[in-house]
Amino acid sequence: MLATQIGYYSLIFGLIAGLLIILLSIKNYNNREIFINPKILPISFLQFFFVSISFIGLILSFINSDFSNETVYNNSHTTKPLFYKISGTWGNHEGSLLLWLLVLTLFIFLFLVTSSNQPKRYRILTLVFQQIIIIGFFLFVLITSNPFSNLFPIPQEGLGLNPILQDPALAIHPPILYIGYVGSSIIFASSLAAVVENYISKNWARHIKKWILISWVFLTIGIMLGSIWAYYELGWGGFWFWDPVENVSLMPWLCLTALLHCIIVLEKNLSLASWVVILSIASFTLSMSGTFLVRSGILNSVHTFANDPERGMFILIFLFILIFIALFIFFTFFKDNNLKKIKINWISKEASILVNNWFLMYFLAVILIGTVYPIFLEVITDEKISIGPPFFNKLIIPFLIFFLIFMAIVPSLNWIKSYLRIRITNIIFLILSIFLSYIVLDRTSSETLILTILLCASLYLFFITIREFFNKRFKNISQIVSHFGFSLLILSILLNSIFSKEMITNLKVGEKFNLKENIITFEKIENNKSKNYDSVIGYFKIQDKNQEIIYLKPEIRIYNEPTTITSEADIKTTLYTDKFLVMNFVKGKEYFNVRYQLKPYMIWIWISTIFIALGGFISFFKKEYAK
Amino acid sequence: MKIVRFFFIFLIFLNFYNLSYSKDNEILKKKISKNIRCLICQGQSIYDSQSDFAESMKILIEKKLNEGLNEDQVYEFLKKRYGQWITYNPDFNKNTFILWLLPILLFFVGGAIIVRKLIVQKL
Repeated sequence: MLATQIGYYSLIFGLIAGLLIILLSIKNYNNREIFINPKILPISFLQFFFVSISFIGLILSFINSDFSNETVYNNSHTTKPLFYKISGTWGNHEGSLLLWLLVLTLFIFLFLVTSSNQPKRYRILTLVFQQIIIIGFFLFVLITSNPFSNLFPIPQEGLGLNPILQDPALAIHPPILYIGYVGSSIIFASSLAAVVENYISKNWARHIKKWILISWVFLTIGIMLGSIWAYYELGWGGFWFWDPVENVSLMPWLCLTALLHCIIVLEKNLSLASWVVILSIASFTLSMSGTFLVRSGILNSVHTFANDPERGMFILIFLFILIFIALFIFFTFFKDNNLKKIKINWISKEASILVNNWFLMYFLAVILIGTVYPIFLEVITDEKISIGPPFFNKLIIPFLIFFLIFMAIVPSLNWIKSYLRIRITNIIFLILSIFLSYIVLDRTSSETLILTILLCASLYLFFITIREFFNKRFKNISQIVSHFGFSLLILSILLNSIFSKEMITNLKVGEKFNLKENIITFEKIENNKSKNYDSVIGYFKIQDKNQEIIYLKPEIRIYNEPTTITSEADIKTTLYTDKFLVMNFVKGKEYFNVRYQLKPYMIWIWISTIFIALGGFISFFKKEYAK
Repeated sequence: MKIVRFFFIFLIFLNFYNLSYSKDNEILKKKISKNIRCLICQGQSIYDSQSDFAESMKILIEKKLNEGLNEDQVYEFLKKRYGQWITYNPDFNKNTFILWLLPILLFFVGGAIIVRKLIVQKL
């Protein structure tokens, strides 16, 4: 009760702090002082403090199961384990917006603390733009999605959290993802400020690169956690379905990846300035529209849990205002005539980064169009269409092949002017890749031409990136690690999809099923009672050719609040393969529907993603170039 | 480079050689069911879903395959019965040509911009 009140008023204080900061900043912007007003920093901290108090208030309401709070009532239940009571705080719309706000205010405070060597006016403008976003979110939270609205009479029991959200990976997935999303707001605010102040410079590039790296690393990890969750929780053994909600998280990632490459060019020789600004605006816009699309409920997705069209409208209007401001500033203030122009040669690192951006933007366009097209088509013609994996595969894979080959060739190019060397190892690697991909595909029954070439290209990239480790040792280790991660990712996804095997059958207790690789015995079932669910656990003995035996124990959980049946897969992970087993009830029958999958190299998909992020992490801590 | 080219041609031939039309119905059923939306679920294919609808659709697909329909005919049958919403692989028609062509068009526009930037450079 008290926590709710304190939380609510803290939010209002936070909003007031935001207005105060803008007021002070405008005064400070025009006066002659060299430093920014010393009052601003404490107020910014205070704003973060207020939002934290409010966030803690909400967490406490969840922990205490305070059902006078509507958000808690809608998303919690007394029998839920403590961990999921806490994670339930951001597992819903209101709480997740509060989390957005928390990260927004934290980041602008950190920005102020770490940017003291930057020009005053640039810092103030960044602060103002960020505060505009923050105030927009405050209003959004307070007007349309107040996490602290009261319920009277106070209900005895809550409605409970959607059971498939009661999962450790999904508990930390939103905060990590949001740090990535919100990081792009700093990039957005800062690049607009830099445009107004005509401060697009090598110095700025170096400074903003850190923020780009932060958002990019967190976004990478956030997307990975979402995929891991989908892999073991949704019960079908897939990890990426080109689902709209997955797509909207991938779009800002692609945009940030492009930006990350471009900012290096800007840092080196001041070209591509306008493109960097456009990408900064686009990254944040895509992050915001991601939130809008997920929350508005106009997407049909496995990941859509709770939504409300009115809220979507608010974000949409807010988004349009921000885009309008951004474009207005860009076209009014952007001048690049004071940037000295360096000619870009056809064969140079600059040109290759342009091509990299070209491909990334193409992938982005495919995903963007594929995600929003059905919405527009339905509005205009009333026809509903679905766009799924076949569409994305057809449009992305052919281009991905060129992208991979290109990625293998160009990172060794020098800045400004370079030439292509064909080393003997390149040819050896190419022949080796062709040979290996032929062998691989010869051993499987389903093959197509395009898959062969894709596999060949990714093997080639894989060999080349491995060679890089030995070639220029520690020269640009962050790039090598990330590129290696990327090649490993594509390779493991491909091998995984080629070699995956599965069988679906109905089994009774005591029955056996023979596969080429394994013998599966359904030994027994056991009933179990937990605090907030009853479960049926199946014991399966998996025996492989070498007589090695493992046990898999998939569960069927019957959650009581709300009553939902979920199947928990049991997965045995090794470096070579994942054994994935899930069982389901069959209505009115005594046998169970059993799905057993062999998923080779599954763990390498996650490891390679960690490599990709690790590269960014290394780059973040790398010493800056001596000027 | 000649060797490389030779290898590629060799590879292409091998693949065409392997492309056969007599595919096992079980594999085909799996492939089709991955591309068919479960109409009562939230964004899942019938392959991924265990709902009653998905189960009956799987049986229907199997039945149609056993009747001798090929992959495309099964899709056509399902689209006729349930509309375009059911397939994850949208047709190319007057409503969707923008969907298929716009990304590729944008790709070429992007390429043109880069080429222009590299050729016309004010110094």
